Amino acid sequence: MPPINPGDELAPDKWEAQLRRGCLEMATLAALWDGRSYGLEILRRLESESDLIVNEGTIYPLLTRLKSLGLVNSEWVESDSGHPRKYYSLTFAGRTRAREMAETWKKFSSSMSKLLAPLAKEGPR
Amino acid sequence: MNDTSTPQVEQYLDQLRKRLRGMRAGDVDDILAELRAHIAEKTSAGASVQSTLSALGTPEQLASEYVTDGLLARAELSRSPFRILNSLFHIATFSATGFAALLATVTGYTLGVIFVLGAFAKILHPHTAGLWRIPDGYGVEYSLRMGFANYPGPGREVLGWWIVPLGLVLGYGLIILTTRVAVWGVRKYRASRPAPGAAR
Repeated sequence: MPPINPGDELAPDKWEAQLRRGCLEMATLAALWDGRSYGLEILRRLESESDLIVNEGTIYPLLTRLKSLGLVNSEWVESDSGHPRKYYSLTFAGRTRAREMAETWKKFSSSMSKLLAPLAKEGPR
Repeated sequence: MNDTSTPQVEQYLDQLRKRLRGMRAGDVDDILAELRAHIAEKTSAGASVQSTLSALGTPEQLASEYVTDGLLARAELSRSPFRILNSLFHIATFSATGFAALLATVTGYTLGVIFVLGAFAKILHPHTAGLWRIPDGYGVEYSLRMGFANYPGPGREVLGWWIVPLGLVLGYGLIILTTRVAVWGVRKYRASRPAPGAAR
């Protein structure tokens, strides 16, 4: 069997990165579910509460994109730290979309877990 | 906010601003203000300016995140050729593949517009517009004419009124196809870049 090149889609790093990338929009919307938050706080939350490690150079363009899609709103708020922060919150469309994503995720992950269950039990050969 | 405006930060934001040309000025100001706040927050928590800026990526990388993210968002909303070209133009400034994609997209749109114009020209100039088959001494030349030139004496018009539906269908089809391919290309381009969560 030919070895897997580091650039191949199935190379371990690449595959995992693709998997995470696909979850990023959902995770970001979920991080805003309980109320408004700003870029760095969202980033820290994603790192501490999910396995997603997000580049700082990725989260801000993503938030800008979610805003232009009408899923989030933004507002500038003065903070105690001395500089204003740009807070994001879910719009009605954003809440609806986030809920849909969560449902899709739940169905998908429970059926995928069933399929994968035997693999986890036996361990690697 | 002044405590964070070191020359290094200003230079970084200036370079970013240059590469975000084409986005709405208000949007660019908002983006820069947000990044300024991010830098202030990080440095006041003890991070160095250098490490904060390198965690954001180079101005080129960051700009391309904004431009392609913006392109996708806008393309998903409107699919307007003008917006797609505008954003591709920016990708073309930092990527050779982007430049090729821009050329291909311009070609696709131009041909599409010519076909549509050919259809309308037939309605305006029924006798001289159309796809002409003209013998030129050596062989035969096909020429799509808008009808402003003189009646091409020895030539024969090939399509007749069929050019109207054909031109419209082919022209609009080509414009839609070009838009699809351009959006697909940008998605591939996004996916090919280092993914979030990859090694920093």
